[in-house]
Order: sequence, then C-alpha cells, then structure tokens
Amino acid sequence: MNKLKDAFNGLTLVKALIYLFFIIFMLLPLFSVFLVSFTGQPINLLGSLTDPKILSSTIEKFQGASIESYTSMLQNSSYGSALKNSLGLALLVALIVILVCIPIAYGIARTTMPFKKTISALCTIPLIVPTFISAYAFIIMFGRAGWVTHIWQSLGFEGMLINPYSMTGIVLVQVFFFFPYALWPMVAAFKVSDVTLEEASQNLGAKNWFTFVFVTFPLAIPGVISSALLIFTVSFSDFGTPIILAPSNLNLLVVEAYREIAGFFNWGGAAILTVVMVLVAAFFFWLQHLFTKGKNYGSVSGKPKVQKLNDNKVLTRVITVYSGFLVLIPLLAMLSITLQSFATTWGKDPLPNGYTLDHYKTIFTSSMGNIQNSIILALGALALSVVIATFVSYFVVRQNSTKLDFLTSIPLVVPGIAFGIALIQTFNTAPLHLTGTALLLILAYTIRRLPYMVRSTMGTMRSIKQDVEEAAINLGATPLTAAITIIGPLMLPGIAAGSVLVFITVIKETSISILLAPAEWAPMSLAIFQNILRGEYYTAAAMSIVLVVLVLILQAIANRMSARNPN
Amino acid sequence: MGSVKVDQLTKEFAGVKALNNVNLDIQEGEFFALLGPSGCGKTTTMRCIAGFEQPTTGTILIGDKAVNKIPPNRRNCGMVFQSYALFPHMNVFENVAYSLNIKQLNSSNVISQAGIYLRLLNRKFGKYPKDIEKKVMEILEYVELDRYATRLTSELSGGQQQRVALARALVMEPAVLLMDEPLSNLDQKLRHSMRNTIRRIQQDLGITTIFVTHDQEEAMSMADRVAVMDHGEVMQIGTPTDLYSRPATPFIANFVGTSNMLKGTVVDEVDGLSIIKGDGFQLRSSQTSTKKEVDVIIRPENIKVYKADRVPSDASNLLEGDIVVSTYLGSIVRYDVQIGNYQLVVDTTYSSGESILAAGEKIKMSIEPERVLLI
Repeated sequence: MNKLKDAFNGLTLVKALIYLFFIIFMLLPLFSVFLVSFTGQPINLLGSLTDPKILSSTIEKFQGASIESYTSMLQNSSYGSALKNSLGLALLVALIVILVCIPIAYGIARTTMPFKKTISALCTIPLIVPTFISAYAFIIMFGRAGWVTHIWQSLGFEGMLINPYSMTGIVLVQVFFFFPYALWPMVAAFKVSDVTLEEASQNLGAKNWFTFVFVTFPLAIPGVISSALLIFTVSFSDFGTPIILAPSNLNLLVVEAYREIAGFFNWGGAAILTVVMVLVAAFFFWLQHLFTKGKNYGSVSGKPKVQKLNDNKVLTRVITVYSGFLVLIPLLAMLSITLQSFATTWGKDPLPNGYTLDHYKTIFTSSMGNIQNSIILALGALALSVVIATFVSYFVVRQNSTKLDFLTSIPLVVPGIAFGIALIQTFNTAPLHLTGTALLLILAYTIRRLPYMVRSTMGTMRSIKQDVEEAAINLGATPLTAAITIIGPLMLPGIAAGSVLVFITVIKETSISILLAPAEWAPMSLAIFQNILRGEYYTAAAMSIVLVVLVLILQAIANRMSARNPN
Repeated sequence: MGSVKVDQLTKEFAGVKALNNVNLDIQEGEFFALLGPSGCGKTTTMRCIAGFEQPTTGTILIGDKAVNKIPPNRRNCGMVFQSYALFPHMNVFENVAYSLNIKQLNSSNVISQAGIYLRLLNRKFGKYPKDIEKKVMEILEYVELDRYATRLTSELSGGQQQRVALARALVMEPAVLLMDEPLSNLDQKLRHSMRNTIRRIQQDLGITTIFVTHDQEEAMSMADRVAVMDHGEVMQIGTPTDLYSRPATPFIANFVGTSNMLKGTVVDEVDGLSIIKGDGFQLRSSQTSTKKEVDVIIRPENIKVYKADRVPSDASNLLEGDIVVSTYLGSIVRYDVQIGNYQLVVDTTYSSGESILAAGEKIKMSIEPERVLLI
C-alpha cells in the first residue's frame, strides 16, 4: 500500500515540477515581456515576489504604464513599417512557395515522373541548412563578387542579376530553402482524391484537365492552404535570413527587435516587437490548426486507396526538369559554400584562385571550442527534453492531461528571437540571474525544441496499449516498476528518434544562440555568424560545412532508426 | 485459492451507471462465467475485481478479505487480457517469469533489486535463479510451450500467445483467475480446442476462475455457473441447464439459446396445469404464474412435428400451422412454421432416409406441458 502511495506521489510530484518548469521558464518570461511592453521599462516579477523594495518599484512602473507605445506604433513609426514589411515578406514567400510547389507536389503524388526518388531526396537538402548559412551562400553566388554576377556581367549585362541585400534576396532565399516544408503536406493533399472520384468525373464526360481543375485540386485545397499558413509562420519567424541580408533601409520585425535589444538595450521597444511577433505567429498557427483539424489525410481507412498516375511523357518530363531546377539552386548554394571553404582566395571569378585546407585547420585548432560547445549544449538540452517529454507524454496519453499538451505546444508558436528577448528580460537580475549562463541557453534550447521530442515520444506512448501496463500491474508490479520495466523499454525507439531531431535543431539554432550565448559558451552557429559579420568568410564557410556535415550524419542516423520503427 | 464475493457493487462513469447493484457469490474452485452482450458491464465487473476500477459503492471480497482498498498489484488476481497484453519486448520465458521477478524484487535488498531491474530490462544483464527458471519451465511444459521459451511473443500463433498469457497468469499462483474474452481473437476451430484446454487446466488446478464472454455457447459449455448481465445488472445466476430450462426473463431466454416467445393470458387452472390463451393458440403448462399476462417460452427442439394425418392419440398441446421455410442443417431440420400471427422455429432431429417436409405443407405440432415455460 505504501509503495503504491509513494509511486503515486512520485508521479504527482513530477507533474508538479514539470508545470513549475513551464511556468517559470516559459510562461513567466512571456508574461513579463507582455507587461514590459506597457511599462516601457524592465520589470522583475520574480524579484517582486522575494524583495519588497523591488515590488514597490515594480508597482511604480505599473503606474507609469500606458498603451502609448502601441498607439505610436500604429502611427507609422519604424515599428509600424517593420510589421508591415514582415507581414508582406511572409505573405509573399507563402504565396510564391505554394505556386512553386504545386507542380512538384502534383508530380510526386500523381505522376510517373522520372527521377522521382532522386528529386524527393534532394528536396530535403534545404531543411538541413540553417537559414543564415543559406543567406550567406546567396551572397557568395549573387553578391557583388559572386560567381553568378560574374557570369551575368560577362554575358554583357550591367550590375547584378539579383541583389541579395534586398527584399528580393530575402524572398528568394526563403522560397528556395523553405519550400520543402510545404511540399510534403501538399503531396499528401494531392493524394486525397482517389481514383474512383476521378474515374467518376471522367465517366460523367469530363476531360483530364477538367477533372484536375474541378475534382483533384479542390480536394487538395485545404491541405494547400494549411501549407501556405505554415510557410507564412516559418518565414515570419525566420531570423537567419533577414539578419544577414536585410539592408539598413528595410525594416523587419525580427531584425528590429534584435537591434533594439543587442544595440540599444531598449527594453520597452523590444518588448512591444516581441508581443507583436508572438501574436501574429500565434494567430497564423491557430489558423493553420483550424484548417488541419479533423482532416487526417490518407490514414483514415484501412482500405488502401488506388491512385491512377499520370504518365503523359511531355508533362512528366517538364515537371522533372522544373523540379530539378528548383532543387538545383539550394544545391549550388551549398556547393558554393563548399568551394569557398576550400578556396585560398575567391574574388570576382567563376572559380576560386586556388585550393587549401587551411581554413579547416584553423577551425580545428582555434575554433574547436565552438564545436565542443555546440555538442555539450545540445546534449544538455537533449537530456532535459528526454526526461520532460517522456513524462509529459505519459501524463497526456495516460492521464489525459490536455493542459500539459497545450503547454508543450506553445513553443511552436513563439518565434525564437521573441522567446530569447523574453528570457533575457526576465532573468537578467536576481533572484534568478541566469542571463549569460550556459544554463539559460540550455533551458531555452530545451523549451524551444521540446515539441519535436514530445511529438515523437507521444506517438510511441500512444502505440503502447494500456492493457500491457495493466498486465504488469496485475502481475504484481507497482506503477513505477511497470513504468521502468515495461513502458520505458517500449518507448526507447520514440525517444531515440526524437533525440536526434532535438540534437539537430539545437545545433542549427540561430536566434537563441545569437541572443543568449555568452562568449565562453559560443556554439558553432554563433561563431559562424560572428565570422560573417567580421568578414572572415572562408572560416565561416568551413565552419558551416562542418555544421552541415554533422547534421547530415545525425539525420542519416535518424532515418535509419525511423526506418526500423515506423512510428 | 479463494472464493469471490461481490456485494452490492455499483459503478458510475461520469454519472452514468455502468454497474447497478451487482451481487455475486463465487465458490472456491468454481468456474464462473459472466455472460452478456457488449456494454452490459461484465468487463467492468471483472476490472473492479482486478482493482483497475474503483467501485462507486459496494464491496468486493476475495477469500473473505475485503479488497476495495488493496491496489491492483497486490490483489493476486491473475488476469488473461482479451488482447493477451503480452510484453512485446520480452520473450516467452521472460513474460512468464515477470511476476516471479516482481515477487523477488519485493523481498530483496536494494543491491539485488538493482540486479533484478537490470535483468528485467535486458536478459543479457543477469541470470535467472534456478527456482524461477524451474517454475517457469514447468508451467510452460504444462501449456505445451516449453519448446518456445526463447521465442519472441510476436513469433507465436494466436493460440500459442493465448497459452503464454494463461501461463503468465497461472505462474503467480493467483487466488482467482480472471479471463476477459480470452477466446474472442481466435478462429472457430482453435476456440473449441482452447475451451477444452482452459477447462482442463481449471479442473486440474481447482482454481477459482471468472470468465467474461459474450458467447453463450462458450459460457454454457465451460462454466459451472453463469451470471447473465444486461444494462449493468445481473439478470440471473444459475447452472447452464438452469438458465436454459428456466430462463428468468425473456431477454435471457433469447440470449441463451434460441426460443419461441408468445404473449398469452392465463385463463384457468385445471389439474395443476395453467391454461394460457393467446392470439391463435391455447396451451397448457405445468408451470404456474403469479401474473396473468405471461410470456410463453418454447424451445425449438421441444416442439414435435407430425404430418396432419399421423398425430398420436396422447399428443398434448396440439397446434396446427403451415411451414414457411424448411432448412436442412445436417443433424437437424429447422422449420419456420406460421401459426396465426406467430412464426415458430421448430427443430427436429434428422436421421438419414427420412423425408423433409417442404414449405407450404400443413403440419400438426405438440408440446409437452412441462416444456411450456411461463415468465
């Protein structure tokens, strides 16, 4: 009896601790940044609880609170134009990505296009590369000294084909590197309409194109819209591309927020921008959720759908060539970085002047610390998220704790830069002075990437039937023993798959690293960023390659694991 | 071993009564079946006994001891789950040894506990003690699975998995064996042989067994006594023959075997026989009823059929009707006979060479007064 009580209390305690964790490190920062957006000055909520002096000053600040900053934002200040530009950028990227993806999605889902597998595989490349590296690659290609510019000018044209330091540049990078996010949901959407519907349409006298326009495509529309909203949120929250490419006369929310905090320590301004970013992202995330809710494509019935594949030779070849072009750009971008990393110097020529391994030597001698930091920080975040995610999925699946489920999906909505600002603001004074420590960095990574882990562990948790656990208890095991000996081992595949995903995304993480990492804990992404700012392009390129290779290796491990465990 | 007593058990889920005042008194060594359609509360009753559900009110006693406050892991009720719930990451031996490991875990110090945990997590991490190994192999031999000890459970057939589940429950020497629709995942043939296996083992070990099923044939052929449940209530408890020959309600009459049900009124009593009149028939029954309006139940095999001109002189309860459908079922012939507004089902044994009456023929039927049941 006592043993059961202990186990029960143990689980309840764990649940309380998890709630506490989310309240202190996620809800409190977001809430306090929300308050700061009204007071205009930093406030210390935790301190107010422990120290009466801080409390009284907090109250004073509240008395000075106003919505003035919000109203002035509406009156076309620089914040207003930043919001407009950010919305415009996200909208444009979402629209273009959808238009660009329709032919490929159709090709993969519904035709016998040649090289389908190769193109599908190449479409994952853009997802591996952190966006600030992609942006930097665009500079190598299209910049003033870029090899594309060189070819362009030797063809007799003036200036640059595309100026990477512009809205156009940002849009292009985001389109070429974000389209895979939309591609796979859209492929699924094009598979919704099955052959019986299309044959019915033909049977009623419709031609092929008519069937596509009026049957296949309308059925795919919810999926397409949902993809568009996803791209919108991803583009809106992206920090890597704008921070590298945005010209000084182009205001964007993420860049503006970063400058306010890193340049001017303008807490009030940064807070307003953070609140706006979170609200916009949350709104579009909610819209997307609305569209996908109740639409479980493809997996509803056990009866396999029969799909008729279009094998029109002209059409499929055109689609293949087109898709090839689309994946070629990211491929060339990565190739350019690879070349740069081996180049002695690379001026305004199609190829480098000479080749050397010096840059890698530099990295592995002087920047080994950054690689170590990245790995240590990622491992820390990994350990923390494994523990939290395992328990969270247990509580959500077995005890139907929907609140916890909701809490763990909040990080999906909050843009990285916004979350970073919220954390800095909240933890830069006593009693919990964590800003500038590796611990806060790990906490931030953990919370930000926890949804991936939870999704993975929750999947396996759901696949473990309740009666297996009951059987263990029936055979005499306490709930805790059952958890250790039965649930734990059965969840391992899910934990492993989630771990790799968390590890990869933490290593790629840009905004949090740039904002929060102290100098002695600078991870690779921050080092690359600083190298680019300092103009040390060759070492930045070499470091980028090391990062991408690391991610590639982990991705390969993850793929092998998920191939073995189809969860 | 122990008896099980369920006393005024009521269980509510979100205000809805899943069980309403269930009373059961199960003897030591008895094979007791809970029979009823899905959603009748039979599984909930069993889960209350196992401790997976807490009764809203009422007590459960296992061997004279109230177990309401004892957690499920200390009730010592071996349970065979409908899905078998075998541990997929363990082989047959480890599945069966699980409860023995747990027992050892509870009676050892921290250091050997760690060893047992390691052994439970991976077989490479530790050797099983001789006594556990002997006990597991004995029970596996008993269910004829000793050759499969090192197989993963997913590599076994349905019937073998079923026997692993049974062995796993039996090895802990439970006070009560609980079986939740254990045969429903097996095919027809296997189900018949498993019935015999389970019954044999139960008789061998003399273990008190509660068996949940929706299949009346299963319950009737295996159990010593059967409780028929419907809508969370126990409708009748009795031996299989009791239930069949004296169903307490029309529901049971219908659920347990096939029956003809007629509505009638008791009009008189002559020589200890009730006389019932209904729409197009008059019958005499040796039963008496306290009610005037009664349901008359007649089992198909208790109706004798004669060609219109060959009725014996001593035939009682003579009825006349037309055959609507005649179905040959091998050892029996089933006739659907129209009498007034009723269509009766009549089974006659068939021996080869006999002629089968065809649809449209007029026939006479007789029923002995003892076979006319009044509810």
